[in-house]
Amino acid sequence: MKTVMLVCSAGMSTSLLVNKIRVNVINKGLDLKIIAASEAEARSLNYEVDVLLLGPQVRYLAEKLRDLLGEQGTKVSIIDSISYGTLDGEAVLNQALALIEEDS
Amino acid sequence: MIYQEVEAIKKIEEVYQTLLSLEKRNKDGVTAREISKVLNTDRANISRYLNKLAREDRLDKINSRPVLYSSNNSFKQNEKGRAINSVSSFKDIVGANSSLSKAIEQAKAAILYPPKGLHTLLLGETGVGKSLFAELMHRFAIESAMLKKDAPFIQFNCADYADNPQLVMSQIFGVKKGSYTGANRDRDGLLKKADGGIIFLDEVHRLLPQGQEMLFTYIDKGYFRRLGGTDKKITVNVQIIAATTEDPQSFMLSTFMRRIPMTIKLPSLKERGIQERYCLLDSFLREESKRVGKRIYINRNSLISFLLYDCPHNIGQLNSDIQLACARAFLTYKTENKEYLMISQNELPQHVRKGLMKIHDQRNEVDRLLKDKGEVLYYSAEDGEYELKESKDENKLFYDLIEEKYNSLNKVELDDTKINEILNIDIESYFQKHLDNLPQTFKKEQIRKVVNTEIADLVDQILELATERLQRSFDEKIYLGLALHLQMAVERIINGDKIHHPELNNIRVNCPKEFMFAMEAAQFVDQTFAIETPLDEIGYLSMFLVKDPYKNKKSKMKKVAVLVIMHGRATASSMVEVANKLIGVEHAVGLDMPLEIEPEQMLERTLIEVEKIDKDRDLMLLVDMGSLTNFGEMISEKMDRKVKTIDMVSTPLVIDVSRKAVLGQNINEIYHSCSNFNKARERLPKNTTQKNAIITSCFTGEGASEKLKEVIKNEIKLPGNYEIITLNIINKDHFMTALKQYQDYYNICAVVSTIEIELAEIPFISAVDIFSGNGLTKLRQLVKESDLYAKIKGSLNEHIKGLDSEELVENIRSLINNIEKALKTSIPSEVKVGIVLHMSFLIEKLVKGEETTKFPDLQEFKREFPQQMEQMKASVKELENNYEITIQDNELAYLAKMFLNNAMEE
Repeated sequence: MKTVMLVCSAGMSTSLLVNKIRVNVINKGLDLKIIAASEAEARSLNYEVDVLLLGPQVRYLAEKLRDLLGEQGTKVSIIDSISYGTLDGEAVLNQALALIEEDS
Repeated sequence: MIYQEVEAIKKIEEVYQTLLSLEKRNKDGVTAREISKVLNTDRANISRYLNKLAREDRLDKINSRPVLYSSNNSFKQNEKGRAINSVSSFKDIVGANSSLSKAIEQAKAAILYPPKGLHTLLLGETGVGKSLFAELMHRFAIESAMLKKDAPFIQFNCADYADNPQLVMSQIFGVKKGSYTGANRDRDGLLKKADGGIIFLDEVHRLLPQGQEMLFTYIDKGYFRRLGGTDKKITVNVQIIAATTEDPQSFMLSTFMRRIPMTIKLPSLKERGIQERYCLLDSFLREESKRVGKRIYINRNSLISFLLYDCPHNIGQLNSDIQLACARAFLTYKTENKEYLMISQNELPQHVRKGLMKIHDQRNEVDRLLKDKGEVLYYSAEDGEYELKESKDENKLFYDLIEEKYNSLNKVELDDTKINEILNIDIESYFQKHLDNLPQTFKKEQIRKVVNTEIADLVDQILELATERLQRSFDEKIYLGLALHLQMAVERIINGDKIHHPELNNIRVNCPKEFMFAMEAAQFVDQTFAIETPLDEIGYLSMFLVKDPYKNKKSKMKKVAVLVIMHGRATASSMVEVANKLIGVEHAVGLDMPLEIEPEQMLERTLIEVEKIDKDRDLMLLVDMGSLTNFGEMISEKMDRKVKTIDMVSTPLVIDVSRKAVLGQNINEIYHSCSNFNKARERLPKNTTQKNAIITSCFTGEGASEKLKEVIKNEIKLPGNYEIITLNIINKDHFMTALKQYQDYYNICAVVSTIEIELAEIPFISAVDIFSGNGLTKLRQLVKESDLYAKIKGSLNEHIKGLDSEELVENIRSLINNIEKALKTSIPSEVKVGIVLHMSFLIEKLVKGEETTKFPDLQEFKREFPQQMEQMKASVKELENNYEITIQDNELAYLAKMFLNNAMEE
């Protein structure tokens, strides 16, 4: 089972998005774990995450997190602002899936 | 009507008789001011009568400053009557032994050259002191006995009578009776009057070719003929000193230099070096000190600023900048009860302050110059034997004026900073002409891409002349606006399309100078394109030349209305009384609400009061508390008028708001700047629009705005729900009304215009930026953002309960704009989307009273960014008020961090 983590500032906006993605995961019958985290939590990860998606407002974290988590194979990317703004769970899920597919 | 005419004739006779009697004492001539004092009549009227008399040839007008009038029969030569006692006139002039030494040698040679001196051409930029130099030459000629003691010095500026170059010639050479309408008898010109002396012709390049030819004839042969006279040769013995700011390379000057034997070039201020500039400053400060009657102190840094700043209009500008600084210092001295009159950086005009920044390049020189000087230097008239030039009454009067006004303001107890502010308005306007930004280099290549070369050249020509004639500089925005406008106008005229200007009369009445010049400019247009420019088009041309096309109009009625309503029998009315008295305009209106009156009753009274105010004026409602705070909303519902309310109002606030309203600021500016006084509630308008629009505008709504529309259409891929609307701005109030109407149907994403308009709610992009490309980038981003925000509004609607998501997003959007401004940064639109979402959910949580997330290491962050935290706190005030929430430091820190870390590099 792959893990996708969403990070935003103070976890204010991602929790809702996470729920919307989960609905899509279930509908599509995928084996995927979706979790939300704050910046601080993302920095001190003690488990493996396959894809880490950042809210556009914290895109400045991308480089640091790539340095930090790149070694263990975590893909770090920024959520498309339109998908994010419109809370489009399906689109964000597709973005995550595309990143996972790149690997295999 | 007839009665009035008779009255006017009587009055003119009275003026004439007064002049005759005054003339007995003042042999040089009489000023309008002197006559106005005797007759106790407005000076402007007296001037009008005097000019009429001069036109009727009963008086001579002598172009000195101030203008002198004298009756024809007793006309005395306009001799400056200055004390001539020093051994050599040139000795005391700053730079006599250095930068001016060559010029002085030449001048002496020109005067002493046998048998009767050489005609001389003085070259130099505006403000280098050509007139003074010519006067000194005259003095020297007398001292050296080349001229008699009473030899005349006649000064004439060929740029006067701008609208009638023919008149310039008749002034110089005189007129033969009947040569034109109004020339009802023979009249001598100034050249004749200068016989036996010197005539100084300033701005000689403005003389018509015909006049130049006549001048050359005199230079070659020693005689001339009156205008319209072919018979009599008039032989005089006059030495000509001509002056011009023209480039010596220009064609016109080459003719002059060939015909006039001596050419003297006066160096610009820049060429004269710091040492001399210091001497000039020294003498100007002493002069001011004499005027004020006090020592003037100046700190070292300010002196350095004066030594180093860019001063393209040379000594003239340096002097007026010094005067402005002294006036401000005088004000501070008075208002703050200081012991000294001190010039510090605060007193310097902005462009002078910048001088200090150049210290790196010239530190050694400055240090050498000021090495034995302390941190604070002082100047006073008593020290040093510097001989003062004639004291300028106008300036002396100005100091008195400040003092008088200050004293009257001081009687009403008001704190000093406020008084200072009020007085500053006066000072600024007094000096406005000197504070004008100086000409910038136009991005001509860019503009030439859009308009054809003929137009661009024409605009060059017109603006160059306008700069000189109207004593005002025109920036590239006006250049571009005028170019685009002319292109369109010329096309229309050629096609025979009608041009109509609805405000034509308004402009003729209120901006006569600009209008007169526009008439002249139209002649260039006519010549270039062989057309005839209609009067209405001239009206449009004038608008480009008016400094602020909106301020000069009688827009008094359109200013934001101020209504003060307070509980208590006389609270509101006495507050308003104080405010109006201090500002000097009955602007604010007070409405008292005695405690026994019911709110409903009060509302009715208020509505009646509001009824009296013009329909298209916005209303600022200042109230104290309770039900009154809701009145604004009810008024705007009932009467379809823009109303903003500030509560918990105090007297200083009433003054501040009224002052800004009187100055013509719009309601948003006033509201935003004044609501900092205390927290004020604003009900935001609801915007339920789907369609988007970009407004392009120019004066006509046809020329530049059509062009802009075309460019935007071609350059930006606009989504289907976008429209570009062109709008004219002949009248700013109409424009604002139209804009408001459009706002009901469209979400206006930007206004693009050739004319600068400050809009609080809508982003503005100048036409210049559009053509240079930067504006297009900005516009693209705005379109993208508008689009995104619309989408966000839609999706949030499903997820946020109990709050109007449209309103919420708009509020956050304006918060983001405000923070960007406060932090002077900009962040990418993607990030803004994230922040909108973040803030939306935060507000929802706070409204529901839910817990929010802690910010790690908050204390450390606060220590590191104290200023930014304060700015965040101030920026969210409005949101806090609107949603009745408190946004804590934790949240502010998150917000600040998002801005700080995402800031785009410039």
